[in-house]
Amino acid sequence: MAQSSSASDLSPWTALLLLAPLTAVMLLILIYPLGLTVWTSLYNGRFSFDAYVELASSTLFLRVLRNTFEIAIGGTLVSLIVGYPVALHLAAQPPRRRTAYLIMVMLPFWTSILVKSFALVAVFGNQGLINQFLGFVSGGTLNVPMMFNRVGVILGMINFLLPFMILSILGSLLALDRRLILAAETMGAGPLRIFWKITLPLSLPGVLAGVLINVTLSIGMYITPALLGGRQDMMVANLVDFYTRQTLDWTAASATAVALLILSGLLVALLGKVRGSAGLAGAGA
Amino acid sequence: MTASSTPAMVELQGVAKRYGEVNALHRVDLSIAKGEFVTLLGPSGSGKTTLLNLIAGMITPSSGRIVIDGRDATTLPTNKRGLGMVFQNYALMPHMTVFENIAFPLEVRRLSKAEIQRKVGEALELIQLGHVANRKPRELSGGQQQRISLARCIVYNPALILMDEPLGALDKKLREQMQLEIKRLHAELGITMLYVTHDQDEALTMSDRIVLMNGGRIEQQGTPDTLYFRPETVFSAEFIGSSNLIPGTVEIGADGSHALNTALGRFDAPAPERAIKAGEPAVLLVRPENMTLTDAATPASVAGHIEDSILLGGVVRHFVRCADGSSLIIQELNQPGRSGAHRGDAVRAAWQPQHGRLLPPAPAG
Ligand SMILES: Nc1ncnc2c1ncn2[C@@H]1O[C@H](COP(=O)(O)OP(=O)(O)OP(=O)(O)O)[C@@H](O)[C@H]1O
Ligand SMILES: [Mg+2]
Repeated sequence: MAQSSSASDLSPWTALLLLAPLTAVMLLILIYPLGLTVWTSLYNGRFSFDAYVELASSTLFLRVLRNTFEIAIGGTLVSLIVGYPVALHLAAQPPRRRTAYLIMVMLPFWTSILVKSFALVAVFGNQGLINQFLGFVSGGTLNVPMMFNRVGVILGMINFLLPFMILSILGSLLALDRRLILAAETMGAGPLRIFWKITLPLSLPGVLAGVLINVTLSIGMYITPALLGGRQDMMVANLVDFYTRQTLDWTAASATAVALLILSGLLVALLGKVRGSAGLAGAGA
Repeated sequence: MTASSTPAMVELQGVAKRYGEVNALHRVDLSIAKGEFVTLLGPSGSGKTTLLNLIAGMITPSSGRIVIDGRDATTLPTNKRGLGMVFQNYALMPHMTVFENIAFPLEVRRLSKAEIQRKVGEALELIQLGHVANRKPRELSGGQQQRISLARCIVYNPALILMDEPLGALDKKLREQMQLEIKRLHAELGITMLYVTHDQDEALTMSDRIVLMNGGRIEQQGTPDTLYFRPETVFSAEFIGSSNLIPGTVEIGADGSHALNTALGRFDAPAPERAIKAGEPAVLLVRPENMTLTDAATPASVAGHIEDSILLGGVVRHFVRCADGSSLIIQELNQPGRSGAHRGDAVRAAWQPQHGRLLPPAPAG
């Protein structure tokens, strides 16, 4: 927000020329397929909204939709609760050590989501490390199912969501003026009050940005629910897959995809409203 | 010094602070009396902020003891010291309104809603900013923000207020206005104030006592008058006011009378407060306003020619180049009909010997 765009000094033609390659790529890989999807959802021999009407009355779709939102919001909440303390700790580190820790935070991105998912099964599965340990201490009576159900999906998801949450909260925390904390201390405020009254409210832009990114990313999750979820944990992306590959109903698949797009768009807009005046740019460091 | 009559609010005993190899503060002893207005004055890097932050508890001393209001506070956390601090950048909470900002220290002290309402109202009244209570700090001017941060400090009646260059970011006019306002608050509320500045005029205007810092040590302390008229070192003389310094060697007569042998002649001078032995190097200080331009060759006078004269409203400043190449500053009152001295005129700069002051020479380096 603060930085003024020096691009405004460019002549319109230069600006257009600079934007042309990006525009071409976007047209090719985003707008064209999207247009095709919308077209497919509306045109099946003839032009109609039938696919959407059917979707709205399909219990499968509605159940999957509810799953999707529950899982996305649940995953985001867990990621927020786990991520905030991590960001707080990172912000308190000297810069060099913080960089080392940040690399660790980014580590999950270095492995394929497939490998990570199987690794999670090895730890949390019925025969996994944790359950083996629980079985050992309880004499074989205790076994907590943590994979191939909702817990599994959320565990798999936060693995992927956390770095985004941590980084956006960290940005806000690093932008926080340390002298405010010192001022509060001289006025007699203890650490808890300082956290609730100063640190937390001033890091809210980062929290909201993190939530926004997390929700957006998790709504479109596909591999994780497929690998780590149970039959009850199908998400919208899996439903699209189901229509295209199992029933070969491309119209329904397209309509589902478009519905997902619209719903995520609405959600993002809603969260953007909640954020109030703080723009996305204000959230970063 | 001044602290002997009233009980001390702050007492530093041999307090030192090291940062690795850097000695930010050498062993400092300082006592501040209750109700006193003390200014820490000194050049950049002399340890003013370090000293203030040690008292505030934001840093812990490498050695020594800090006593605040009779209580050993050396290792007491900041939030238990019960003092107030005004920051150069105001440090107002950007997400709170002016009212909430001033109410914050009262909420910390768990006052009732009604009482908070009343006290914040009074504080806003005191700084004449009642009408901005519901604004956010960023909607205020720099001067208004600084007054709010003052109000936030005085609202909970701390016994001691620390200020680190609180007016540094304000323009000259506003700064002078705020100086008077702070002085007024100090007089009205009787709070002990420790004020940091590197502006000598500010220190002279505001303080009961000035503590002059140099390289992590206290160079000299005393009333503004003492520091101005009775500096003990060349550093003090040069830092406060402007000065003419003539180097030479000390000569002591049989009757104990002192004189300085210099390249410009031999000048009588009062005996220094701290004895300097005969034959040792010393510096003669004469303030520009104690020098006049004459034609007569009085004993305490130096020949030279006027290099420049500048008019500063009520006073005129002459720059006189002496025979040995050194230069002197002479300041005279600007009166109507003042005989005009012109550039290049041969003149004598004269002073009363009793206005001279012998100082030990500045340490090398
Ligand atoms: N955190 C630190 N680490 C290392 N050295 C420091 C630190 N803080 C201060 N110093 C050093 O201690 C000395 C005194 O610094 P201090 O901030 O007290 O000076 P100051 O008198 O307040 O100067 P200014 O007028 O510029 O604010 C300086 O040499 C400074 O470089
Ligand atoms: Mg300083």
